[in-house]
Amino acid sequence: MKLELFNTFRDTAQENGVIFYYTGAFSQNVVAAIGDSLKQRLDSVNTSSAARRKVFSTFVEMAQNILHYAPEIAENDGAGAPAKYGALAVGRNGDEKFFVVCGNPVRMEDVSRLHEKLEPLRQMSIDEIKTAYREQLRNEDHANDAASKGAGLGFLTMARDATEPIEYSIAFASEADGGRADLYLRATI
Amino acid sequence: MEDLHIPASNETPEVRFEFSRHRLSMHGESYPENAMSFYGPIRSSLQNYLEKLPADGKVEVDIGLRYFNSSSTKLIRALIAMLDQTAEGGPSISVDWLHDADDDMMLEFGSDLKDEHRSLKFNTVVAEPA
Repeated sequence: MKLELFNTFRDTAQENGVIFYYTGAFSQNVVAAIGDSLKQRLDSVNTSSAARRKVFSTFVEMAQNILHYAPEIAENDGAGAPAKYGALAVGRNGDEKFFVVCGNPVRMEDVSRLHEKLEPLRQMSIDEIKTAYREQLRNEDHANDAASKGAGLGFLTMARDATEPIEYSIAFASEADGGRADLYLRATI
Repeated sequence: MEDLHIPASNETPEVRFEFSRHRLSMHGESYPENAMSFYGPIRSSLQNYLEKLPADGKVEVDIGLRYFNSSSTKLIRALIAMLDQTAEGGPSISVDWLHDADDDMMLEFGSDLKDEHRSLKFNTVVAEPA
């Protein structure tokens, strides 16, 4: 990367309020390291501890989603072991709201399930989200749902912590290995 | 039976189940990637203890979690449900649910647990600042 491009990259991140950005392979170690670093960054930001907790919670849900659901893929050159890839950014619009965004590959077979989970959440009021959260918490059937490792509470937790509906988009990415799409999520806190 | 002590890690709380003194506590943050592998053994050890508890037994529990992720949520609730079921059979079990003064979400979660588990002496308590 040329130095002036790197400058542009840094300026763009700064103009958009980016506090933290990571792209690459995700593992539990990576998530723990980012989590530590993010906590320290958030501690130096002037905000309520409630907002800090919600930003951190949203980060964990998104990062663990990548760990749980992203298919393992080999890097372009095919060297190295296959890994789960994704990108994640945390930032703040001026002194106002925080955002957590992520993008990662998902399996084609998971796309309709993701739509079904994410779309209704966008229409729900915060009270409806809390009610759905409580119902899901009591839903014992879910223990047998192999597709969901977050106990079905992951997206509801994000929606509960957010001040605006969760934005998402799913774009077709590749035919390889049964097909892949890219999932993008944006939570505002 | 032997006490259970699991030191805190970055992603898991300190668990101190002093079965010999009938005092159980859990403090810290909980966001392991695989929550089941962390809570599974805790659950079995708690189950073993509760099964042997006499009807006039008395247990004090305090839980102070500053944060837990979605996959820990149901497992934490399941521990409370186990305590509640045992208390139905006679033993007196008190649970202090600690939350930061400004953490409405953690207070709300505790209040819901209290409403749903009526055999416990369940109190939501404001934690001393760390």
